[in-house]
Amino acid sequence: MKGRFTFILLLFSVIFSLRVSAQEIEATGKVTSNDGLPIPGVSVLIKDTKQGTATDQNGNFRIKIPKPGTQLVFTLIGMSSQTITVNNGQAITVVLLDSQNDLDQVVVVGYGTQKKSVVTGAISQVKASDLENMPVTRIEQSLQGRTSGLTITTSSGQPGDGATLRIRGTTSINNSEALYIVDGVQVGGGIDYLNQADIESIEVLKDAASAAIYGARAANGVIIVTTKKGTRTGKMSVNYNTYLGTQEPARKLDLLNATQFATIYNEAEYAKTPTLTTPRFPNPSQYGEGTDWQATVFNNSAKIQNHELSIAGGNEVSTYYSSFGYFDQDGIVATSNSKYKRFTARFNSEHKITKAIKFGQTIGYTRTNSVGVGTNTEYGSPLGRAINMDPITPLIETDPAKFNLPPYSNQPVVRNAQGLPYGISTIAQSEILNPVAALAVAQGKSWSDKIVGNVYVEAEILKGLKFRSQGGVDLAFWGGESFTPVHYLSSTFNALVNSYNRNANRGLFWSLENTVSYNKSISNHNFTALLGYSAQKNKGESQNGQLQGIPVENLRDASLRFSVPKENRDFGGGEYLNTLNSSFARLTYDYDEKYLFTGIIRRDGSSRFGSNNKFGYFPSASAGWVVTKEDFFPQNKYLTFLKIRGSYGVTGNDNIGDFRYISTVSGGRNYTLGTAAGLNIGVSPDALSNPDLRWEETSSTDIGLDATLFGNLSLTANWYKKKTSGMLLQIAVPGYVGNNGPIGNIADLENSGFELELGYGKTIGEFSFKVAANGSFVKNKIVYLGDDKEFLDGQRVGPPGLEVTRTKVGYAIGSFYGYRSDGLFQNQSEINGYVNEAGTPIQPNAKPGDIRFRDLNGNGLIDPNDREIIGDPTPDFTYGLTFNAAYKGFDMVVLGQGVTGNQIFNATRRFDLSTANYQTSILGRWTGEGTSNRIPRLTLEDTNENYNRVSSLFIEDGSYFRIKTLQVGYTLPNRLTQKAGISKIRFYLMANNLLTLTKYTGFDPEIGGGSIGIDRGFYPQARTYFAGINVGF
Amino acid sequence: MKMKYIKSTVAIVVIMQIFVSCKKDFLELQPKGTTLEDNFYKNEKEFMQGVIAVYDVMQWGNTGGYTMKQPLLSAASDDCWAGGSNASDQPSWVAYDNFNMNSFVGPQGGLWSKNYSGINRANLILSKIDQSTVLTPAFKTRIVAEVKFLRAYFYFDLVRWFGNVPLIVDVLPTDQLYKQTQSTPALVYAQIEKDLREAVAGLPATISSAEKGRISAGAAKAQLGKVLLYQNDNAKLAEAATLFEDINKDGNIYGYKLMPVYADIFNPANKFNTESILEIPHSNNAAWGDWGWINGGEGNVAPQFIGMDSYVGDTYSSGWGFCPVTLDLVNALKTDPRFSATIIDGAALKTAGATYNQRYQNTDYFIKKYAPLKAYRSTVGTAELNWQINEIEIRLADTYLMQAEALVKSGSNPTRAQALLDAVRGRVGLTAVPATLDNIYNERRLELATEGHRFFDLVRTGRAVTVLGPLGYKAGKSEYLPIPQAEIDVTKGIIKQNPGYN
Repeated sequence: MKGRFTFILLLFSVIFSLRVSAQEIEATGKVTSNDGLPIPGVSVLIKDTKQGTATDQNGNFRIKIPKPGTQLVFTLIGMSSQTITVNNGQAITVVLLDSQNDLDQVVVVGYGTQKKSVVTGAISQVKASDLENMPVTRIEQSLQGRTSGLTITTSSGQPGDGATLRIRGTTSINNSEALYIVDGVQVGGGIDYLNQADIESIEVLKDAASAAIYGARAANGVIIVTTKKGTRTGKMSVNYNTYLGTQEPARKLDLLNATQFATIYNEAEYAKTPTLTTPRFPNPSQYGEGTDWQATVFNNSAKIQNHELSIAGGNEVSTYYSSFGYFDQDGIVATSNSKYKRFTARFNSEHKITKAIKFGQTIGYTRTNSVGVGTNTEYGSPLGRAINMDPITPLIETDPAKFNLPPYSNQPVVRNAQGLPYGISTIAQSEILNPVAALAVAQGKSWSDKIVGNVYVEAEILKGLKFRSQGGVDLAFWGGESFTPVHYLSSTFNALVNSYNRNANRGLFWSLENTVSYNKSISNHNFTALLGYSAQKNKGESQNGQLQGIPVENLRDASLRFSVPKENRDFGGGEYLNTLNSSFARLTYDYDEKYLFTGIIRRDGSSRFGSNNKFGYFPSASAGWVVTKEDFFPQNKYLTFLKIRGSYGVTGNDNIGDFRYISTVSGGRNYTLGTAAGLNIGVSPDALSNPDLRWEETSSTDIGLDATLFGNLSLTANWYKKKTSGMLLQIAVPGYVGNNGPIGNIADLENSGFELELGYGKTIGEFSFKVAANGSFVKNKIVYLGDDKEFLDGQRVGPPGLEVTRTKVGYAIGSFYGYRSDGLFQNQSEINGYVNEAGTPIQPNAKPGDIRFRDLNGNGLIDPNDREIIGDPTPDFTYGLTFNAAYKGFDMVVLGQGVTGNQIFNATRRFDLSTANYQTSILGRWTGEGTSNRIPRLTLEDTNENYNRVSSLFIEDGSYFRIKTLQVGYTLPNRLTQKAGISKIRFYLMANNLLTLTKYTGFDPEIGGGSIGIDRGFYPQARTYFAGINVGF
Repeated sequence: MKMKYIKSTVAIVVIMQIFVSCKKDFLELQPKGTTLEDNFYKNEKEFMQGVIAVYDVMQWGNTGGYTMKQPLLSAASDDCWAGGSNASDQPSWVAYDNFNMNSFVGPQGGLWSKNYSGINRANLILSKIDQSTVLTPAFKTRIVAEVKFLRAYFYFDLVRWFGNVPLIVDVLPTDQLYKQTQSTPALVYAQIEKDLREAVAGLPATISSAEKGRISAGAAKAQLGKVLLYQNDNAKLAEAATLFEDINKDGNIYGYKLMPVYADIFNPANKFNTESILEIPHSNNAAWGDWGWINGGEGNVAPQFIGMDSYVGDTYSSGWGFCPVTLDLVNALKTDPRFSATIIDGAALKTAGATYNQRYQNTDYFIKKYAPLKAYRSTVGTAELNWQINEIEIRLADTYLMQAEALVKSGSNPTRAQALLDAVRGRVGLTAVPATLDNIYNERRLELATEGHRFFDLVRTGRAVTVLGPLGYKAGKSEYLPIPQAEIDVTKGIIKQNPGYN
């Protein structure tokens, strides 16, 4: 009993003594950003010791300090460190600013990370803080205007549509899609499946030195996305972001009204037949204003909404990050048929099994549902129809005298909800139909389910020696269905039997990667070595079926289960498969962070390469010199950091299609035999095989510098040249070979450019601001297309198939190709006087008001040889500007972005159709001497082919500058929200595409997708107004 | 490095090697849904499909331009004009008609490509047969003979049209693709003779009705006789005559007999008739509709060409108005009993109430042999591409006249020569004329008019300058077509242009 007492006493005294020794001062406080938001995970250390703590989810910290006057050091990657002297126990507030020179930041380099100050390659980075609260509908768009070296052109304004993204120019005449790596897993089909709030950082590997670690897949550049992880603070944080928005078209075209249309048409008719007594549209004013077809397809208040909820936390053993997202966007064109919905869920976690072994996974699931319309086609997109449809035809035929007659009375015409028929034009031709009626019969929808994730184990076997094994998967299911009811839109566009299509597809990509890395410092020599092995397989299958004549009237009721005769069923499908097997090594060395070197080699074996070239080697080397670290460099406050770096490397493009090196045989080489004329199947090889077939190869040189000037102005500049060789084309073989030549590595092209990034930030009292600017020049040139080829065919427009672009040696890929217009002939004597050297009239059959085409080859005729390159759809220069400012609880950001030096081919009007409507600019046409020198006269008999030749008449300047984003936010003061248990609440208003400055006369100068720079009635990007809230608990 | 480090490193490398070891198989994949050349030609069925693909080339009418032999060669001869909608409808036909082809314009590209496609397919089969061990001797003997016949057939067209051509009898290895040089006609003829002799030995005398269209020994002998005759070598005439006699003699083992009624030879209902020796079959079985690859169908596109444009009336279907018959041929045949089976008198049809459009170089006379008949217009596929009308390339009257010619030239058996000429004339009720070379040549023109023989007959007998000179033919040049320019360009000049062309 006594003994027990003694023990308790002893225990008590120990506790007491502890209490005595704890009579040190406790420092508490909060770390926030300059806009007042709490920053979790900031390391708080007592200076010159290893004692310390970290801020919790609300940015609060509590630390015991030995004595007043102790200095605390607050550090966080990406922020400028702060040292604060604590004198007493009062709560202190520490404001950490974004690191201005970015040099302390860490960048992801592929199979690892590197401190930015020692990076020797050309890598651009976009961080979570840049993306937060800046809604974009697809992640790729968030890179637009923010990084140099990227040309991003929106594919269309249709919800869910992506962007054409080119890193340092178009690298191949075949596939120029960048490689996307999300959490170490290659993903196909872009990164639109990602929820914006989940992204920690996006890195763009631009030069071969950084991309070579991805070898045969890296020639088009690499985009690495890292998703968020939990923090080890021991507390859970919950964030909820939402916004609601309304979208509208930024611009409508001024089209002719019905009276103007009739007048203009009559003029063209008279020009053809001057003796005409009654024109087609007598007394034009009877038609009045007519129908505004644009109004029937545009939506001025299309809704958009987004909800993101994330929960993150963790402790010393485990961390987790989960999120849910919901995004819903209606299109501004043909809203009923243009919608996109996305649901995302994510779960990332990491656990320490032992001190040395970590285990973790990232899993993202995304479901999308969408419907879409044609976005850039002259063959009957809603906008193409709205632009070209005659304004005389009414949207809905309300005149009983008409709708009781054929075709209304005897054809399955399309009707509105009231049972009235949609107007059927007797004037419009071909695909130009009532757009609303056409939308009603185009019933369809698409869906996708996608799971991308990885599982990894990481073990630190010895200090500095790490082993990591990762399995990754990208499993995608996608499909769609469409139904065409019995309908009558015109005598050409109708269906007497309905049809129903459905397709379902599955793609599975998996990879297995093992890496071992070792880093070691011996005095000032720092080494990191990485060795890795990777295997991946990519396979998939598709199936589709069609039924005709099923007993239903709309998509909702359609089913493949209906029994129809065999001849009304159709079934098809296919599959794909490829594998890649690689090993790679990287050695990074620096001496005192002053002399820097990185060397990479990767060996890739691919099932796509021919038997003689199964494996390719992709080396790179880069070096840097931090001049300012030299002893001889004078200490000064103007130039505090200067790094000069250079790199050279070789990367490949394995997107060359599967099995193209093999010779396959096909049937259809049949012959008739016998008196009864029986068909006998014949089979022969399709083309020669090419066992030498291999990747397309790009070698690139990069010279750059990173500098910090005046303490807070950061500058990065890069010059590069990259040459792509061995691009795939069919090899021309002599005819005596007797079969098609194989696909071979033939063509070469070059990109060269210059990039500049500038950043400047300053805090003045409670006001802080940051400016970032970037600009990129790029020049693309086709070098070689084979001995037999000077050019490759490009884009064509309209049913006459007019050639609009060519990929020609010496010029940029897909350049515009056509005749040169030299103004208009004002009178007959100008026509008579337009002769060649021999005195022959060049355009003897022209009339005043016709285009004077340039006789480029001087043969006295205007013929196809008088065409040349007349423009380039790719910008020479792209630039972006971001301005952030904060004052007390207010914050704002402006992002502007633009391009110059590109042209657009305006093919919005169907000039092959005489009754297509015009923009009002046609009112400025030539009508007599001196009336116009640009817009030719109108005639139904265009013998000079003013409007039916591809010429500089249709080429417009495509330069633009756009206020991409303007946002103003307000964060409620902490003292108000904290009581409610809310750590942060912020409201904001935002506008996207508020203002676009351009000379281009179409809807939108930013025309990407399949026919870059050719406007066939392009679905424009919306102007959007948002209101949003961010809440953190 | 400490031992521990080394052990760990070794362990890791070993783990990684586990994955590396499956490397080879991992990268060696086979496509699905298609068949690889390396895996095909495994059994008799697949070999037969390969042989059919060689035959297929014989019926091609459009390979880089329309190249149907009978109408094209008729346009080149003095029997027909080129025609069509205007001079720029088929510039290559007009150029051949006027003998102003150049290395870019003319029918050479299509003919070169067609015949070498056939040769490539033939060479491939022969090389695959060499590697195969599964074929029965009978099957193998027959298809080898057929393929050799076909190779000779394509080379015979090449040597007649181009003279100096690369002689390729194997599948070309990759490093030889651009290195082939042209052989002399003599060497090409030697290969043709060799192939045909070997073919004759391996082919059956008769073909079952289910297989009509495959090559018989009779067809091979006729072709060999023709090849010998074409070489204008007196030393070869005796052999030619012997070969022809085997075919032409009464009670020949092939069952060849002259058709009693001349017009019946060309009636599409009488396909593979007793007079037909080498016949190229056509059908609408593929129900073809692709204008971009007409050869994929089995139809004969020649009838569409020679038919009257926008014709409305009895019997015939409308065509495109190519190859209007020259008044020269009309006059030559005017009083001949074969006129009505050879030439359509457009004026007479119009009198009877029919209408058609007069097109370029119209004479109001049209080719009747293999003309588009309403009754044979296809109801499946695109009608224009699916004419189910066979064409006979060698028939008995032709071999009669060739034998007569060989005999007269060699002076060996004038009686037999006379009998053969008499038989041809007698069939249509014409009285005998002496079997002189001139009379035989004249008989060839009338009997075989518009069947694609006239042009080469004029060239090989040295009469081309006289007859075709006024039409633009130049000796030493027009015998041959220009070599396609693309061929010269892609071989960087290893292939040389024919004399007179640039």
